[in-house]
Amino acid sequence: MAAAPWLITTPYWRGILVLCAMNVMLALSLNLVLGYTGQLNLGQSAFFAIGAYVSTILIKTYGWNFWLAALAAIVAAGLVGVALAAFAVRLRGHYLAIASLGFAVITYQVLINWEDVTEGVRGIYGILPPVSDTVGLFYLVAGIAFLIYFLLDNLVRSPVGDTLRAIREDEISAASLGVHSAVWKAFAFGLGAAIAGLAGVFYPGFVGTLVPDAFGIIESFTMMAMVIVGGAGTMIGPVIGAVLLTFLPELLRGVGELRLMIYGLALTLVVLFMPGGIVQAWVAVRNRLRS
Amino acid sequence: MTDFLTLILQQSVNGIYLGCLYVMVALGLTLIYGVLNQINFAHADFVTVGAFTAFFTATRLATKVLGMPDIAAYLVSLVTALGAGAVLGVVVSAAVFAPLRRSGADELRPLIATIGVSVLLENGQLALFGPVPYQFDSPLARETLRVGRIFFSAHSALVVAVSIAAIGALYAFMRFTFIGKALRAVAQDRETAGLMGINQNLVIALTIVIASALAGVAGALLGPVVVLTPFTGASLIVKAFACVIIGGFGNMEGTIIAGLLVGIIEAFTVQYLGSGIIDLVVFAMLLAMLVLRPTGLIAERKEENV
Repeated sequence: MAAAPWLITTPYWRGILVLCAMNVMLALSLNLVLGYTGQLNLGQSAFFAIGAYVSTILIKTYGWNFWLAALAAIVAAGLVGVALAAFAVRLRGHYLAIASLGFAVITYQVLINWEDVTEGVRGIYGILPPVSDTVGLFYLVAGIAFLIYFLLDNLVRSPVGDTLRAIREDEISAASLGVHSAVWKAFAFGLGAAIAGLAGVFYPGFVGTLVPDAFGIIESFTMMAMVIVGGAGTMIGPVIGAVLLTFLPELLRGVGELRLMIYGLALTLVVLFMPGGIVQAWVAVRNRLRS
Repeated sequence: MTDFLTLILQQSVNGIYLGCLYVMVALGLTLIYGVLNQINFAHADFVTVGAFTAFFTATRLATKVLGMPDIAAYLVSLVTALGAGAVLGVVVSAAVFAPLRRSGADELRPLIATIGVSVLLENGQLALFGPVPYQFDSPLARETLRVGRIFFSAHSALVVAVSIAAIGALYAFMRFTFIGKALRAVAQDRETAGLMGINQNLVIALTIVIASALAGVAGALLGPVVVLTPFTGASLIVKAFACVIIGGFGNMEGTIIAGLLVGIIEAFTVQYLGSGIIDLVVFAMLLAMLVLRPTGLIAERKEENV
């Protein structure tokens, strides 16, 4: 990972590296909710947006220090995540999926309509990254992504991870064993939202501009594709998915619609033929080779 | 005072017409949910495919190649859009829903798989048709009718008529035909229906095809009145879900009432609050409904086994 910027030297591809590190963070954030807690959350793009907008507005309008603004953005996204969990406590399965989808659309509409604060579709321009060169930004974002991976890996191995998995497998049985599913769902949603918000903090500086269109529901779907293709409910799966789905379409030199066509096709095919994603397929192949 | 009353009446008429469009989109979703307990997320993109099929039939094939008059061409395009929707229904049923049903997948996998189909269809159409909106010129949309002091386009009258016809046909089919009865039996209890000798796979496939054909027709009706792009359907999907949830998932009567309600609320929102916040109002309704009464307007009792 550390050597990647030396292997890849063109500015364009170094940019893709930064994007990849951000996608890894987003995939990890969704995986906590979707993969480990089993809640189909289609609203993850909203937390990405909240992180991006809160930090940018605090820095540009109120002159906050980057890291202080980042902290505020993480807290804001996390709190909204807990608020969304209030719905998740009462709703399951399809209902939660649609409620979270509605939440993502509302957030997007607020970004467009609340022009006094967000500048609406005009967008916010001239946003500076926390580190001026791409390589430095890559190390920063990738380092944070690595740290999040490490922390989440420890979390899911702990009894907390067992609790979340118990809710995923059978919420009613888990409740009968004394699991406060409402509290733990709120925890998973809040933490997942905070991580997505953190990824959002780096996005505006990287691109230089901030427009609502970067946070449509398609962003939720691309995150979901990364998690599912890699393998939901495993730690390494979403990382593989994020790296693969960031680089593969670039290698094919695709324009926008081709990239998203690949995401859609990959998502459908993996759900149909390889429901555990790449990780499960790899385990199956390895077992066959051994026996 | 009479002006005020006219305004209310006018907006109600607009709302009913909008509501009929939403009902046409939402009915297929609710039909599939009622029988399968599953969501076809690509449903709204079938609407878009229907709209483009109708567009090319009405403005190219029927008028330019076959030399038909405008109005006849548009009516023919309703039929081709229905066909396009039905074909998509066959494909998604055979390629996505049937294999997942055989593998005994949980309820969320078909939803995720059809989200993939939706992304694929949207961006496939974007590659084919480009992002520039198409001008779907329907002869009926230009014609304005007047009843008293209420104005509406001939197209909106057609929308209401087609919606009523489609709902009526669906009702008659469900009530009075053997296949309709089998369909309701499968919706109530799949296993018992199977024991009674009903071929449930066939019934489920048929349900998906009917629902998708409805989506195709909805596309043909929407085409001339919306900005026709590859994302036309996608912009409607959450509104359609709102209708389905407000009406009670899988409940046809509830969906029809909810669709009309959403249409009327939208018409008055445009009148009094501005068009920018329609989505916000509808989704706030959706979320409020989910919190206060997740079973919808018309509740259906369901038990859960552990």
